[in-house]
Amino acid sequence: MEKLLSQLTDKHVLFPASLLLRLALVAYGDYQDRTMAVKYTDIDYHVFTDAARFITKGESPYNRSTYRYTPLLAWLLTPNIYLCMVFGKILFILCDVLSGLLIYRTLCLRGLDRKTATYACSLWLLNPLPMGVSSRGNAESILAALVLGTLLCMEARRLGWAAVLYGLAVHMKIYPITYALPIALSLRAPEAGAAEGEPARTWKKRVAFIASFLSRELILFGVVAGGVFSALTATFYYMYGWPFLHETYFYHLTRRDIRHNFSPYFYMLYLTADSRGSQWLGLAAFLPQLILLLVASWSFHRDLAFACFLNTAIFVSFNKVCTSQYFLWYLCLLPLVIPHLALSVKQGLGLLLLWFAGQALWLAPAYFLEFEGYNTFVVIWLAGLLFLSVNCFILIQIITHYKPKPPSQRPKVQ
Amino acid sequence: MYFQLFFVLVCLCKCNCLNQEDEQEHCDELKRWLESSTVSLEFSKKGFHREVTATVELRPGALSGASVLLLYRWPSGVFVDPYQLASLRDQSNWEILLDSAIDLELPAHKTSGFLTYVFPSNTGPAPSVLQVTIPVHGRYHEPSFAGETFTSVHIEPPELLLRTEKCTDLHRFESRFVLDAPCTVSNSSTCSWVKKTLQQEPSTMGILLPVGDGSATKLICGGTLLVTMICCVTLSKYMLERRII
Repeated sequence: MEKLLSQLTDKHVLFPASLLLRLALVAYGDYQDRTMAVKYTDIDYHVFTDAARFITKGESPYNRSTYRYTPLLAWLLTPNIYLCMVFGKILFILCDVLSGLLIYRTLCLRGLDRKTATYACSLWLLNPLPMGVSSRGNAESILAALVLGTLLCMEARRLGWAAVLYGLAVHMKIYPITYALPIALSLRAPEAGAAEGEPARTWKKRVAFIASFLSRELILFGVVAGGVFSALTATFYYMYGWPFLHETYFYHLTRRDIRHNFSPYFYMLYLTADSRGSQWLGLAAFLPQLILLLVASWSFHRDLAFACFLNTAIFVSFNKVCTSQYFLWYLCLLPLVIPHLALSVKQGLGLLLLWFAGQALWLAPAYFLEFEGYNTFVVIWLAGLLFLSVNCFILIQIITHYKPKPPSQRPKVQ
Repeated sequence: MYFQLFFVLVCLCKCNCLNQEDEQEHCDELKRWLESSTVSLEFSKKGFHREVTATVELRPGALSGASVLLLYRWPSGVFVDPYQLASLRDQSNWEILLDSAIDLELPAHKTSGFLTYVFPSNTGPAPSVLQVTIPVHGRYHEPSFAGETFTSVHIEPPELLLRTEKCTDLHRFESRFVLDAPCTVSNSSTCSWVKKTLQQEPSTMGILLPVGDGSATKLICGGTLLVTMICCVTLSKYMLERRII
């Protein structure tokens, strides 16, 4: 058994095996779609394909209702129409495996030995969740690859490429904007310390702090990332107008989905949707998310992968809308964090089981509401608060057991 | 010459009378088909995702002799998913036309009812019985401030509309029983259809959908904000304690 495990986690076996598993799932999905009433392919894949079809006819992808993504995705999937329907899924599973490779390279650069790095990235490559999500036709793996690519380039100090990938990531989905602060803090010029024995004056410290943001590297990053984002936004606005801005960005920013979802705020927002105080409540719901993002960015910006992981987990857990697709956003960063955790396997598995238990306690009343017609709103609300508490507990365990490697132990950049 | 003209006129009149008699007969038959028909509704499945089955019983010959249209007037509390309906096209014995775009996410009080035109194909359990099953989904409703845990959404049985090429002069019918509706599912033209004359009180059926408890709003808001603030403060404390300098 141990021999099998060690063979499987040899990188020359792991990457091809994970690709083959995903291809097998895509093939099975095609069979299930053709023969069974319950379809394997996600509805989102049909939305992408319909939008791509509009593009092939020279029309706007936003003619497809519920297409709320960048036109870039529909453009990428036009071979679904010209070649074959399964092209998109192949692209997504390739990005999935690429994400595994990026995790491996990043871990090696952060000073891990190859064996540990392979074990860690097998947590992504052999994980059924991203396998299932990509083979069903969700595009989350493209974003995972972009975010991991940004982190790898940052780790390797290739800032130009990091900025390009970051600009592209923010264009595709809004949430990577939460990485802007930790990236900015990590690219600041090192602050000149006060001379021995001389207490630094507060105003001098403040000026030095602000001045540290005017570093050449940070400005370069900002200009390139901002340039890429602006160029893409301007191009697509010119091509598709206001619907592009609304569906890709504003809809997600102002979205008030009152239907049941994992968010702890769901029931509060449903009950107050039409009341006068709903704007203030929306702001009150945004505050914990904002405060935590600022604190996490400040506390851990020296370990960028960890800061980004925490930022994403906080963003998802405290968001006004939370669906299971969002979990992948921080799951792809977890393999970068796990090798530095001083947790035993038993403790790790315990936390994982706790996370699943929290989800199960929410899914049960949600099923009874949606498919059996029971009024379980209060139970769902309580389960949502419990799930938030479980997520916070797990994050606290991760934070208290995290042992970052000191910078001097990192190997030289190749 | 006048005699020949007279003879032609008499022949034409006779043809017209015969045609009119023919048409009268077909229109009477249409009327009989409508009056003897019954439409009943039943629901299956539970929760927010239901199936609505309409069973139409007609006189034998009606299905082959006339075009049938079922006109559903849906309330704002439910919706149909156009993409789901499109994917069911191959397996269903009907084709459907919607009168407006459907927003799948709006709550019931922010949208209005809509019409669907269902054109059944002639395959039913028996030659004179049609069964049409349509999947519908419940919308979220406004929370109740009166302590009610469910709201009722009333759905009327569809109106049965018939038309036939052999009865084109619909002035024989009262105007309130003649409707304009699309001729076919492709919606390229509009035709006049006839609906049942003896209209009893339409028997509506209700489906129950859960609603939120508006009277507990303060408790829910207070509880939510309290727990989220506690989590926020606790997490911030640990992050600041373990920050990497």
